[in-house]
Amino acid sequence: MSERKITAPANNPESEPFYKAAEEGKFLIRRCTACKKAHWYPRAVCPFCFGETAWEEASGKGVIYSYSPMRRAGYTLAYVTLAEGPTMMTNIVDTDPDSLSIGQAVKLKFVPTDGGPPVPCFTAA
Amino acid sequence: MTTNVYGMVAKRHMHQFGTTSEQLAWIKVAASHHAQWNEHAMLRNVVTVQEVLDSPMVSDPLHRLDCCIISDGGGALVVVKPEIARQLKRPLVKIMGAAEAPKGQMGGDVDLSYCGAAWSGPAAFAEAGVKPADMKYASIYDSFTITVLMQLEDLGFCAKGEGGRFVMDGNLISGVGKLPFNTDGGGLCNNHPANRGGITKVIEAVRQLRGEAHPKVQVPNCDLAVATGIGGLLGSRHGAATVVLGRE
Repeated sequence: MSERKITAPANNPESEPFYKAAEEGKFLIRRCTACKKAHWYPRAVCPFCFGETAWEEASGKGVIYSYSPMRRAGYTLAYVTLAEGPTMMTNIVDTDPDSLSIGQAVKLKFVPTDGGPPVPCFTAA
Repeated sequence: MTTNVYGMVAKRHMHQFGTTSEQLAWIKVAASHHAQWNEHAMLRNVVTVQEVLDSPMVSDPLHRLDCCIISDGGGALVVVKPEIARQLKRPLVKIMGAAEAPKGQMGGDVDLSYCGAAWSGPAAFAEAGVKPADMKYASIYDSFTITVLMQLEDLGFCAKGEGGRFVMDGNLISGVGKLPFNTDGGGLCNNHPANRGGITKVIEAVRQLRGEAHPKVQVPNCDLAVATGIGGLLGSRHGAATVVLGRE
């Protein structure tokens, strides 16, 4: 069911380090150096306090905040709350959608895209 | 993609508040009761809760009949000075309060339990000096059944999480329930011209206030109404707008 071709993500100077790390299998997020809060998606300026932010490698652990399987199209869209705090929109892959539940632990899995860097998805932990 | 995001909002609402697919279906049922009288509506058949539940699943938990139709169309409003309005010899409708609010992605502090109408609704009612309970009619933007439920709660027609119980048993059907909504059949049954789906909401509210809705769905003595909508995606980022209208 993860046979779906994922379009290559749009890249820009702000996101370039993220996708470079993704190609090495590393999942980066950004955290504010002033208020210490992590956010998603990664930004140069903290969306909470406008402080400077810095990259860090995330654990890749999270729990499902919500999800919606589209069975005929063969994918499941989800919001996953990362262990580091922020909630991100993603896909749940390689997992029977009927086995999913809100609050369920999931772990990172990078999924290849059509001619671009891999994107962070999640699978049952 | 659009349906998926709304599906996630519905799934979360069910998880957090115990809302059911049956309750969401009542919103479509009410819209269909109204659409049967609208000769221009795309879907005029009255449907039952069971028929909504039996329609194909699109993006779990939203079925096909939880989704709006897609149509061509558009609308226009003429807003004129009071002295010109009086010369037109038409029933007059005034804007009593209006507000807009964006809701973004919150830097990852995602909370799908409310939408931007939680800000635009109370602000519009405050400017108008009236309460949700005073409304005789409501036009609620209805891209999906969950869109209606969320806005009803955020506007204050019921407490947060109580939307499922609020819409049950025909409470949104004109002549049956306490809050007649979308008496033209709404986006769920009448029309939904892409990103112009909002203006039809204001138009039907004005029809109600003028007493010019279809006789089968006209709310008696309709002197106060609200129209509200969101544009964008309920579950990621959107703008919300609410207008409170009154009969002169």
